[in-house]
Amino acid sequence: MMENVFLPKLAKIVKNEKMTAMEHFLRLQLLDKKTAEEFQYNLGQFIEISIMGVGEAPFSICSMQNQKYLLDLCIRSGGRVTSAILRLGEGSLVGVRGPYGNGFPLKEMEGSNLLLVAGGLGVAPLRSILQYSLKNRAKYRDITFFYGIRTYDTMLFRDEFNSLLAGGDESGCKFYLSYEDPKDEQCLLLEAEYSDRCMSGVVSKLFERTEISPKDTYAIICGPSIMYKFVGQELTKRDVPPERILISLERRMRCGIGKCGNCIIGDGSSIRYVCKDGPVFTYWDALHTKGMI
Amino acid sequence: MAKPKIGIYGLTGCGGDQLMILNLENELLDLLRNVEIVAFQEASSVQQDEEVDIAFVEGSVSTELDLERLKDVRKRSRMLIAIGDCAIGGCVQAMRNQEMTMKEKMEEVYGKGEEYFKVLEPYGLSKYVNVDLELQGCPIETTEIRQVFLSLLHGDTPEIKDYPVCVECKLNEYQCLLVDKGMPCLGPIIAAGCNARCPGLGIDCVGCRGPIMNETNAAEELHTLLEKGYDERYIENRLRFFGANFEGILKLSKMLREKTGGARGK
Amino acid sequence: MTSESLDAFVNNLETYGKIYGPVKTGESCSFQEISQSKEMALNYSRTMIPPKKFFLKLKERMFIFDERECEYEETLEDGKIVVFGIHPCDIYALKLMDKIYLDKNPDKYYQMRRENATLIGYSCHPDEYCFCQSQGTNYAVDGFDLFLHELKDKFLVRIGSEKGNKIASENSKFFMDVESSDIQEFREAEGKREKEFTLKLAINGLTDMLALSYESDVWKEYADKCFGCGSCNLVCPTCRCYDVVDNVNMDLKSGERQRMLNSCMLKKHGLVYGGKNFRPTRVERLRNRFNCKGSLREDMMNCVGCGRCTVYCPSKIDYVEVLRRVRGEL
Repeated sequence: MMENVFLPKLAKIVKNEKMTAMEHFLRLQLLDKKTAEEFQYNLGQFIEISIMGVGEAPFSICSMQNQKYLLDLCIRSGGRVTSAILRLGEGSLVGVRGPYGNGFPLKEMEGSNLLLVAGGLGVAPLRSILQYSLKNRAKYRDITFFYGIRTYDTMLFRDEFNSLLAGGDESGCKFYLSYEDPKDEQCLLLEAEYSDRCMSGVVSKLFERTEISPKDTYAIICGPSIMYKFVGQELTKRDVPPERILISLERRMRCGIGKCGNCIIGDGSSIRYVCKDGPVFTYWDALHTKGMI
Repeated sequence: MAKPKIGIYGLTGCGGDQLMILNLENELLDLLRNVEIVAFQEASSVQQDEEVDIAFVEGSVSTELDLERLKDVRKRSRMLIAIGDCAIGGCVQAMRNQEMTMKEKMEEVYGKGEEYFKVLEPYGLSKYVNVDLELQGCPIETTEIRQVFLSLLHGDTPEIKDYPVCVECKLNEYQCLLVDKGMPCLGPIIAAGCNARCPGLGIDCVGCRGPIMNETNAAEELHTLLEKGYDERYIENRLRFFGANFEGILKLSKMLREKTGGARGK
Repeated sequence: MTSESLDAFVNNLETYGKIYGPVKTGESCSFQEISQSKEMALNYSRTMIPPKKFFLKLKERMFIFDERECEYEETLEDGKIVVFGIHPCDIYALKLMDKIYLDKNPDKYYQMRRENATLIGYSCHPDEYCFCQSQGTNYAVDGFDLFLHELKDKFLVRIGSEKGNKIASENSKFFMDVESSDIQEFREAEGKREKEFTLKLAINGLTDMLALSYESDVWKEYADKCFGCGSCNLVCPTCRCYDVVDNVNMDLKSGERQRMLNSCMLKKHGLVYGGKNFRPTRVERLRNRFNCKGSLREDMMNCVGCGRCTVYCPSKIDYVEVLRRVRGEL
């Protein structure tokens, strides 16, 4: 019998925990053991989650593959599917398809510095890279993480990032935090304590705080689409080659496998499907594909 | 979980939208089992003015009494859904909006010196209160109200079709009445949801579901039909019949009025 | 094959599945089920809906689900069909569809129907909207099982696949060997047909011309005319976008997932979570459509020059005219 790629596999919600007013942390376990074992993903790939009677939506995985059969996701409410996920309790079943897309070229990045730049919910896929690179610390040189938030309340994985702030360079990663609301009290407190690592402003302002060695750095950006342009420019100004700046895109994806066409971008000479050619592209791609950023 | 409380109310209109809920006939009892109806103007004399989870309101705001009732309903409902064109854009009552004053209209119909209701220029609900969802149609479709009920009961925001009738014609492989027959079909600018019922029967779309919100290229509809030899005033009237209060059509009317220096025949 | 044998041959095709052919429906044409060849209008120019509808259905149920049983269940219908009378442009379009839908993640619905189908091509003559010659899709080299070229009182039949070969050998009584005079007649007919094309579009370098014209005013100008009605996409033989919805039954527990053809001219096509729309107005949507059609995605021209989008556009946006504007020819 031919496999039907559109038929979701069942997975159980083992954790559905509120992180902020808008976001939940969701941990899924594929029910079928064989399916779970075969479910190998690259960091930066995404899955399609189905809720019966509601629909399907794409989500990027936010953890590295360490605990077998478990998939971690960061879900922001607002859409039909996301709202439905948030009201499901632990033990409920959802449908899963995937993993889809290309993911980040972790092998290729070995031996280089990593600069991870996250804005808002874009922190989800970057967290998986951070986990992986810290776990495989010897494979990479300096690891720097820029995280831009609006207010302290909207900060995701707060405990993890707070401990990176507190740990300083000892944590294995230089973590910098920027916040947009200059009056946010908790952020001001953080800034008072870690003045060299925390500042108010947009995430691209963090470039003022640190040196980038352009020759051997891979930069990975993930955040709202407006961020790519600004951060891309900052990096280019600092001579990071555009082909070593990676971005992860968000688009409407009904199928995840290059059929439904909703995620098509580009011009006559560069039509791309974000779902199967991406979602990870280089800044070079972005400069040469119209409508990408 | 407690059953959601539902109120179904009517302002100025023909009652056709409430009737379409009743037209669910075979499934009506199954549906009602899942909800508690506290008011259903057309179906029951019981009218409890209590708080509701979802209020369905049909009809336009055309009198001060309408407005008073609407504000009351809004105050005591968690979610307010406008059902039918009257409740969205005023529908046929509004077709002469801004072309003449209410006073002129009343005099034309009832004669000078008569006593009238306290009338307002007809508009949809959203001119006065916050509306959570609008279900287009004159009347609404049973299939759509059914799907809205089911979506809400399932806990989801209903998905409303925001594409034109042309899509449904093509998906049903109905012949294009505009292109193939040169009929004055309004399909390209009218919201789908009827499954292209009229074009499927060879009748050109008269636009009863109203234009698509924020997407209506009314100027091009005028241009297209002018090219096919239809009269400008005829086309404008056709567009205004159900859609006079919609942004694109308002703009078009204004443009046409300016062109003729305001000298429009009745 | 002689012209007189056509009826009997078509009758015999029943063995290979339900037969569909171009049938006159009002002013236009549509592929419909037929029982005899005379029901077909084989001199048709184009159907409104292309034969993609047999493989990527206009609307279809993908599967059913039941929350109580926690179950997804496939609901595939099966059945062999013969599509008779496909023109070369539509054959090329299916070749492109195959590349998309039968890639490393094959679409089971499409794949099953494709395997169950026999495609029989039929020669045609261009009208003023056909520009397949410019797109290089006016002569089908492969992608069919059999192809019938209409000559004066006979057909020259080409075999394009093993399936086609099997049909030909099982129906050998209808077929005669090709004589050199037949070849001569075929050659002349093809030569004559080549000269019948009046509409031309220069396609060399078009992909780059589109890229260079990304900020051109042309898009705004035509977007003002465009209704955003999606007709161009829905009648396009290579447009393959679809949308998906879940429908719940009255029990609120069971239901179906359905997909239907979609259009990049519609508002929701570029919409993502939070109301962000990557193609917010008709300008971006129209530009995207032309860039997609003019691209070489899957190493093939994504437009096959069938003329449907021009014919069925309610505001008469002319595909070739737009691209000639893009090229700066008009």
